[in-house]
Amino acid sequence: MRSETTLEDLIGIEHTKLGFFRDVQEKIAEIRASNKELQARQRHIQAIFDGYTDIAVVVSLDLKIKSVNRVFHEVYKEPHPIGKNCYEVFRGCERPCSSCPVIAARESNEVCRELVIYPLPSGGKNRHFQLTASPLRTPEGKPGQILLLIRDVTLEHEYQARYYQAETMAAIGVLAAGVGHEINNPLTAISGFAEGLNRRLPKLEGRVEDAVLKDFDEYIAIILKECRRAREIVQSLLTFSRQKSSEFIAVDINPLIEETVRLLRHRLKDFPEGHIRLELDRSLPPVKGDPSRLKQVILNNVLNALDATATRGSITLRTYLMNKNWVAIAFEDTGCGIPAQYLGKLFEPFFTTKQVGSGIGIGLSTCHNIISDHGGVIVVCSQEGQGSTFLVRLPLPDQVDNAQL
Amino acid sequence: MDVRKFSIPEIIFGRGGLRYAGLCARRLGAEKVFLVSDPGVEKAGWVERLMSVLAGEKLNWVYFCNVVSNPRDYQVEAGADLYKLQGADVVIALGGGSPMDAAKGIALLASNGGLITDYEGANRIHRPLPPMLFIPTTAGSGSDVSQFCIITDMKRRVKMSIISRTLVPNISIIDPLILETKTENLIIASAVDALCHAIESYISKIASPFTESQSLKAIDLIVKNLKPAVENRSLENLEQLSIASTAAGMAFSNASLGMAHALAHSLGGIFDTLHGMVHPVLLPSVMRYNYRSCPEKTAVIGRILLGGRRRSEKSTAMAGIVRLEEFLHSFNVSVRLRDIVQNREMLPVLSRIAENDVCLLTNPRPVTWEDFLNVCREAW
Repeated sequence: MRSETTLEDLIGIEHTKLGFFRDVQEKIAEIRASNKELQARQRHIQAIFDGYTDIAVVVSLDLKIKSVNRVFHEVYKEPHPIGKNCYEVFRGCERPCSSCPVIAARESNEVCRELVIYPLPSGGKNRHFQLTASPLRTPEGKPGQILLLIRDVTLEHEYQARYYQAETMAAIGVLAAGVGHEINNPLTAISGFAEGLNRRLPKLEGRVEDAVLKDFDEYIAIILKECRRAREIVQSLLTFSRQKSSEFIAVDINPLIEETVRLLRHRLKDFPEGHIRLELDRSLPPVKGDPSRLKQVILNNVLNALDATATRGSITLRTYLMNKNWVAIAFEDTGCGIPAQYLGKLFEPFFTTKQVGSGIGIGLSTCHNIISDHGGVIVVCSQEGQGSTFLVRLPLPDQVDNAQL
Repeated sequence: MDVRKFSIPEIIFGRGGLRYAGLCARRLGAEKVFLVSDPGVEKAGWVERLMSVLAGEKLNWVYFCNVVSNPRDYQVEAGADLYKLQGADVVIALGGGSPMDAAKGIALLASNGGLITDYEGANRIHRPLPPMLFIPTTAGSGSDVSQFCIITDMKRRVKMSIISRTLVPNISIIDPLILETKTENLIIASAVDALCHAIESYISKIASPFTESQSLKAIDLIVKNLKPAVENRSLENLEQLSIASTAAGMAFSNASLGMAHALAHSLGGIFDTLHGMVHPVLLPSVMRYNYRSCPEKTAVIGRILLGGRRRSEKSTAMAGIVRLEEFLHSFNVSVRLRDIVQNREMLPVLSRIAENDVCLLTNPRPVTWEDFLNVCREAW
């Protein structure tokens, strides 16, 4: 027996039957505090979720959307995505998509990635989406929900393609310059000696048979002609590969176009009157550039348009101010158009649909290089059988610095 | 008078009161009751009866009956483990002092943890207990209304007193009908226990008017009703005995007890003696020892026992004690200590243990172990 028990202990005035009231109050206070903390944590998590610059969506195992972040609402029109099927909301489909990273993640319990190309349900062009599905695991380690991150990589892919093209151009430029110079020397020798032979031909008169002499005459003429042609090809190779642009000066585009069309007078004889229509904006401000190279671009595009309208259609050349920042030159034709499968390759060097001998396929890629050097853009849009439009945009002088971005 | 306190549980008293057990338990928040009883009560059919009452209230229960007289520490610990394992809530005890004290110990350990020995003494419990609903079957122990819990520490062979206001049950349901199945010996033993509660609480140092009136009422009822209850077992007499037992319980829970209980606890600890067996042996000797410190009160008791006063206060008191001895003898129970403790050499050991009992605090006359030894020798 512990000796300290006293009479006062037995009377126990200070002691009562203990109740649960205080316990309950303490529990409630505890729960309140932890609830507050949980709410703060949830806001924190939602803030992180919303902070993603990609679309982030939590999807249940049966592909129902559980929550979405802020970016979702910026991209998709659907105001109440929660509880709907992900394939309806994202693709407007009635059943799950065939290559679904969410399903893959659900089955494999691992992070799954997929690159898909589809238009937004609200319409528009095809877009490239990088999908990343990571399982949110339950305490038992099984996938409970799937976190789906959707990144629109359309622009990145475009930049990547442009970068790739620029790289290719540069490499080919070096190659073309090398080839051009190497061929120029033997060509000069061939053509020089052919000229020499030509000059000496009269001395053979009477010494050989006339028929033989006539053959010589003809052969030498062919050699010289083909040498000229070879020189032209070499020249175009060297133009293509020219790395440094010459000093830029202020250039009025409209006179350049008119001049170019005048140059082509004798080719236009085969076409009806008014085959090329000019719709030029007379108030167009000048751009900074190399007039001779810009003229080459115009010439190249007009020649292409003439080829496209050889059997039917006409050509319109328009200039106008675009978004106040750009001078635009549109080469519109209502000719044969370009098959869709070629559209992506038009500006690649040595891509041609013309017969062997009528061009080596560096016209448009040269144009592309020249326009790029000017900080501009050249794009094409075409429908087979309906015609094509090549649009060249050149920045106004104070835009040059930003245009490269 | 010094500041005193009187606290008791809600008491539901009356024939057939058992049928309210389910309702009361539900009011206390029960869904899965922890039911404590013992094989004797079970055999009399009352456990089954209570279970049907609980079932009628759509309550579940866990039944625990691993209880012997003088409940042991390990039984209480096993009960608390079962309580926690089963996720029980309200504790219901149906039985005499042993199942009720065991139930208190179980409720205590289930909610406060640790070992039962951690709580030995007064006011060592710091956390609330599960709600407790007790249904006494003996009309004696008073555990259903008291703040006491007596558990045997098997290692030391000591009956520990655990005292706390939080051990007072929430509800006590006293149904005299339950007493009808009691054996004659049990009726006598529990009534004598209640009589001893009444007398010792009356002469306690911290008795108050609120406890004294309960004590005297209990003495009066027991003296008048025990004999007829044993002879004809009429429900009326049994009912009066259970009123007496409850009154005595209210008194001793608030006023505590004295040296007779101190000795009874040491006897129970060492020899596992039935608590009710001890008092016929000790009570008269204890009263004689205490007389010097409380002559008036002893005389008041004597007047009730005798049914009137004698010439003097002292003669009334002494005649009362003699009448008490005759009264106890008339029930054919052991009246000498040698019937319980065969070996006289054990008396000093008993006395030294009793000297430390918490009940001695309120004994009107100071007691040393030698005093105990003298009382024991007188009673041997």
